[in-house]
Amino acid sequence: MKSRDQEYKEIFIAEALEYYDALNRHISDLEKNPEDEQLLAEIFRLLHNLKANAKAIGYTSIADVSHKLETAFGMIRSRELSFSDEVVTVLFDGIDMLGEMITGIDGPNEVEPSPALLRNLDIIVNSLTDNSSDLSKVQKYYTSKNLSLSDLIYIQIKKLDHLLNLVGELIIDRDRIVSISKELDHDDLKNVSAHLYRITEELQYSVMDARLVNVGSLFNKFPRIVRDIAVAEKKEINLDISGQDIQIDRNILQIITDSLLHLMRNAISHGIEKAEIRKKAKKTPQGNISLSAQNDRDTVILRLSDDGKGIDQEEVRRAIVQRGFLTADATKDLRETEVLSYLFEPGFSLAKEVTEVSGRGVGLDVVKNAIDSIGGRIKVDSKKGVGTTFTLFLPTSIAVKGALLCQVEENFYAIPLMHTDSVVAFPTRDLHEVGELLVADINGETITIVSLRELFNTDIREYSVKKKDLTGDAQNIIIVTYNNRKLGLIVDKLLRQQDIVIKALSKPVNTIEIYAGVTLLGSGKVCLVLDVAAITRYFITRR
Amino acid sequence: METQNARDKKEAAVEERVHLIVFKLGTEEYGVRIDQVKEVTITPEITRMPKTPSFIKGVANIRGDIIAIMDLEERFRIERAFKEPERHTYTLVMEAKDYTMGFIVREVPQSLTLPVSSIDKTPSFIQDININENFIEGIGKLDDRLIIVLDMYKILTSDEVLQLKS
Repeated sequence: MKSRDQEYKEIFIAEALEYYDALNRHISDLEKNPEDEQLLAEIFRLLHNLKANAKAIGYTSIADVSHKLETAFGMIRSRELSFSDEVVTVLFDGIDMLGEMITGIDGPNEVEPSPALLRNLDIIVNSLTDNSSDLSKVQKYYTSKNLSLSDLIYIQIKKLDHLLNLVGELIIDRDRIVSISKELDHDDLKNVSAHLYRITEELQYSVMDARLVNVGSLFNKFPRIVRDIAVAEKKEINLDISGQDIQIDRNILQIITDSLLHLMRNAISHGIEKAEIRKKAKKTPQGNISLSAQNDRDTVILRLSDDGKGIDQEEVRRAIVQRGFLTADATKDLRETEVLSYLFEPGFSLAKEVTEVSGRGVGLDVVKNAIDSIGGRIKVDSKKGVGTTFTLFLPTSIAVKGALLCQVEENFYAIPLMHTDSVVAFPTRDLHEVGELLVADINGETITIVSLRELFNTDIREYSVKKKDLTGDAQNIIIVTYNNRKLGLIVDKLLRQQDIVIKALSKPVNTIEIYAGVTLLGSGKVCLVLDVAAITRYFITRR
Repeated sequence: METQNARDKKEAAVEERVHLIVFKLGTEEYGVRIDQVKEVTITPEITRMPKTPSFIKGVANIRGDIIAIMDLEERFRIERAFKEPERHTYTLVMEAKDYTMGFIVREVPQSLTLPVSSIDKTPSFIQDININENFIEGIGKLDDRLIIVLDMYKILTSDEVLQLKS
């Protein structure tokens, strides 16, 4: 693996060379068409970007030459400098110089800008007369121009999406071949399929790897955004960003962009208190917000913490009752994590006043839906007066997910591991009947237990399971978590854990809520993927 | 309606025979235009899909595509001719604009060409029965056979199918 610095350097060189090519093209055109405002503006923009990039990565001499050229073109633009032959020569020399310096970055010796050239640039910028006699001849560093193509290519994400889909299909077929070869017990076939297995696996990871970007590409946009929101809210914010180099699938990052922005706005406008209130609470006058990323196996964990006023549990409990989610009695029994999970319900908002940046009726439910759609999870922790933390658990890659396979009646079902908590064989006699539902005390937690068999076969409004409806002394229960709530699912049989490629269901069956998609198993069998979010939602409303 | 008009125009220009895939539902013969049929295959293993109406038999893997399979006899509440289970059934794979769906038939479908003139536009009173919403395009006659020509596109796009919420 290349070091991060090396990678940044390569990206910079590739981009800079592209700018250099474009500059060459435009300046040649400009020579023929000195009046073309658009060309001038484009050259100006390219030089400006090049300067900014070079400065950011620490190539000050490149930034310096770009700056001088930018100034010169700026003057041509404002007609303070005429595009005369002498000036053109200096500008061409300058751009050539840039090219030399850019290609020199990776070379053994760093290329220093020619002092004569720098002086010439200064002369054309500073002397507004046609005092061309001062210009000295610039000695060219190169003897012949080397033509070379960039080592990096830009590629449309669409093409990578297509590639990933193809790999997904390939993996399904591969698993099928592997299982057939086991059945046939043919040595050559077994060898070939083992090899096929390894190659496709490597192919899959290569494609997944090609889609990874740094979380930093999103995080680094936040300092500016935070500043703007803070100014609008008349607050002072100290933003701490870490883990920018954690990698994640580009599309996943794209999907959560709006969510993260929404959470950030909330944190600043609703979380962080005004300076005078903070002082009274013995906090620093500036609010502290930290945005961090870390890896945990196949999961990327993003965390957004503020040290603001926190969420008032009692206020949330009152809102739950007011908005008709639960009765006042029922809210008393809710655990703290459960109370907070109501923040993600549609139409649930605590914002009392609409401010410029947040509280426009777009609630946390939108954030949650975005995260659900990629098979992620969101969690909120908050302590009144201390602060709030939102934690986003995101898959590193969209394509392949770990899943737990189980059987209910004749069908196989997959439950993404992202949502599974644990698996238990629970004695039937220890289950308790509460109304039409069963509950169990598992490791000190009271968990609602749902029979998938009954859920599948009856209308949800008529769902009712008593202990006598269950067969066997012990029940296989998969405990799933969604939105800080746990639910136990009784299955007929636990099969195994497996990586699956989830395909979307096609019309018209794509609207059935309890399915997140479908996958093909190695045996060629179709396996439905359960949507834990939808199933949990069914049973929350019942409580 | 636009597509319907376009189709009618095209036929007027060629005069004309229409190529149908004919199959039995209950005791009657039904037909669909061959251009609406993607393929006919022996019904693969169907995975039952809980929480769907009973006329959706489930989903099946047809050449890597996972599509929903519908039973037209149940959909139209047509009584089945033979009660005993067949050795295997056939699936007509039909294509709508943005999705594909399979329809189970119990006997091997046949291919048949009819002159367009032998298809009567549906008498209006037939439209009231179970096969409603103008799914019937016309009644075709060939010798003493009577073939009910279905407009599969309308079945595929009917609201009932598209709003399958349980």
